[in-house]
Amino acid sequence: MKGSLVTIKNVEKSFGGFRALKGVSLEIKKGEFYSLLGPSGCGKTTLLRIIAGFEEPSAGAVLLDGRDMVPIPANRRPVNTIFQTYALFPHLTVFENVAFPLRLKKLPNATVKDKVQQFLELVKLPNEGKKLPAQLSGGQKQRVAIARALINEPSVLLLDEPLSALDAKLRQHMLIELDTIHDKIGITFIYVTHDQQEALSVSDRVAVMNEGEIVQIGTPFEIYESPTSPFVAHFIGETNYIIGAVTRLIDEVRVEIEFPEIGAVVAYRDKPLSVGDSVKMTIRPEKIRISTELPEGLSEKFNVLSGNVDEVIYSGFQSKFFVRMGERTMFRVFKQHVRYFMDEKAINWKDQVYIWWHYNDSFIVEVGET
Amino acid sequence: MRKKYGPLYVTPLTVWLAAFFVIPISIIVYYSFLTKRPATGGVIHQFSLEAYTALINPLIFRIALNTFWVACVSTVIMIALAIPTAYYMARSKYKNFFLLLVIIPFLTNFLIRIYAWMAILGNNGILNNALASIGLIDSHIQFLYNVNAVILLTVYTYLPFAILPLYSTIEKFDFSLLEAARDLGATKLTAMLRILFPNIRAGITTAVLFTFIPAFGNYAIPQIIGDAGSYMLGNVIARELTVTRNWPLASSLSVVLTTLTTLGVLLFMRFNRSATEGAAAMAAAAKRRQGMRAAI
Ligand SMILES: Nc1ncnc2c1ncn2[C@@H]1O[C@H](COP(=O)(O)OP(=O)(O)OP(=O)(O)O)[C@@H](O)[C@H]1O
Ligand SMILES: [Mg+2]
Repeated sequence: MKGSLVTIKNVEKSFGGFRALKGVSLEIKKGEFYSLLGPSGCGKTTLLRIIAGFEEPSAGAVLLDGRDMVPIPANRRPVNTIFQTYALFPHLTVFENVAFPLRLKKLPNATVKDKVQQFLELVKLPNEGKKLPAQLSGGQKQRVAIARALINEPSVLLLDEPLSALDAKLRQHMLIELDTIHDKIGITFIYVTHDQQEALSVSDRVAVMNEGEIVQIGTPFEIYESPTSPFVAHFIGETNYIIGAVTRLIDEVRVEIEFPEIGAVVAYRDKPLSVGDSVKMTIRPEKIRISTELPEGLSEKFNVLSGNVDEVIYSGFQSKFFVRMGERTMFRVFKQHVRYFMDEKAINWKDQVYIWWHYNDSFIVEVGET
Repeated sequence: MRKKYGPLYVTPLTVWLAAFFVIPISIIVYYSFLTKRPATGGVIHQFSLEAYTALINPLIFRIALNTFWVACVSTVIMIALAIPTAYYMARSKYKNFFLLLVIIPFLTNFLIRIYAWMAILGNNGILNNALASIGLIDSHIQFLYNVNAVILLTVYTYLPFAILPLYSTIEKFDFSLLEAARDLGATKLTAMLRILFPNIRAGITTAVLFTFIPAFGNYAIPQIIGDAGSYMLGNVIARELTVTRNWPLASSLSVVLTTLTTLGVLLFMRFNRSATEGAAAMAAAAKRRQGMRAAI
């Protein structure tokens, strides 16, 4: 495809009899912040190592700028990696760690000095050059690793869960910093993570992987709002699933589904369906509204159900409600702590409540046979 | 608690050191300052520096140089073999199996192993017969009774002492550092030289000491399969002690040898430490300066 910097074509990787990658294809554009997201063991690191040149694919091609990378050894690929454990050289100072790639090129001392200083400033460590890695904090080590990986000006930077060794607060901070650096230098980032929040907040595009396969590629918005499979819907954020049968195709965009214990609900129709199909519908908990009173004048585009609050989990900025509709049906509903109506009452455990959502927000992720 | 029992813990070590180190060394030092009994050999308990002045002798000097040379060559060969061996052992899935292989020779007596080698390398030995039977040689190759045989068997005997300390340091080495170096543009060789070697210095130092010292004090190997050209200081001591029975000379030579080896070891360790700890010390100093500035 034109305009793509990194092309992965049907890459397979087997370890012994185990297939870690089962035909992965990707197109990554120049300058993109591209994330590989998936659960532990799905093959993210393996794919990254194949791009870096530490591992050879069993089949398939890796192209960079149209050039086949497979026969090129790791040290001659214009690709650098930030390792999960940083892999800083313990016997070298921060300065010499960052200078390492330049020393290999035997650049003159003055050039090395200027360039290292420039990159230490980029990662906000201008005064730590003389320290050894053992004398740095986790966040500082991370910054040194970033500077070292960038100083060669690679066309692609590979990051393998670079923040996983940091605590939550620092992780947030470093993520923003990584994003800033990406904007500043404009090179392509391939970012591996199993943390969906990380992937959604900084990526231009996300490839969701599962068991050695790509299951969906899209912008964070697409991945979150229109998951194409139950796996993606479930892996990215929280969601409600409910299985029912199609009873009526209302029009081009709406379908009526009958659920046991609930009755008829209208959902968005984005795939071919026929009456009688068994379908799995999903609706995100934050898309559902909840109240003890039914608001007046609600448009017919909303589905309205009623049930009893089984459990309330207060978590600061929001509350999570588990609303029971029947023996086997429960809805999770997230409510931000804003008042929809001036006279709205607090919702408590065991209250009878109404929940409603726009039909557009509920859609079908899987069609089964009847 | 610890204070109360402290001396008790120390006692066995003190006894051990006294019995096997301090007392024998003292006896040797004492004997080195005695007078040789003429004719029959042994000592007369009378102070003399004769044994030391006798050491200033071109022949002994030549043998000392030869000893040093053989020990150096053997050590270099051992380290060169041990580093790759230990590296592959440490990276292998069958670490324990390989460790066992390295240790197995110790289960057999050292002299028996040397005689086994003689059976292999002798003029009528396995190797010569094999070479002759495939027609590569007409008569035989003289493998034994020269300096090369001494070096070969020294390497064979002490190689495990180089492999084991190297293995234990390489095993702790983080191999992802080599990948990082490759990623940053280093060839495999450069990654080894610039990243692996500096990080396993402690193991190399130990391996050098563990092999050089016994190689330098070697006496059985040159005695059995050496010739006049591979005569070592250990052989001189043995001969002075048992054949010539010049006990003061044997003692003075032992004292000088021990002193020189100890000094050499201390110098070597000092040199190595200053190299590895230099960077750390520099960084620590920088940190202290920073702390002081912050305090002001
Ligand atoms: N060298 C190897 N030999 C055998 N199996 C391997 C090897 N490397 C990886 N695997 C297997 O391949 C699968 C994918 O591994 P990989 O490291 O790519 O997962 P990952 O997605 O990065 O997971 P995580 O989030 O835990 O890092 C795993 O099941 C792993 O056990
Ligand atoms: Mg991984």
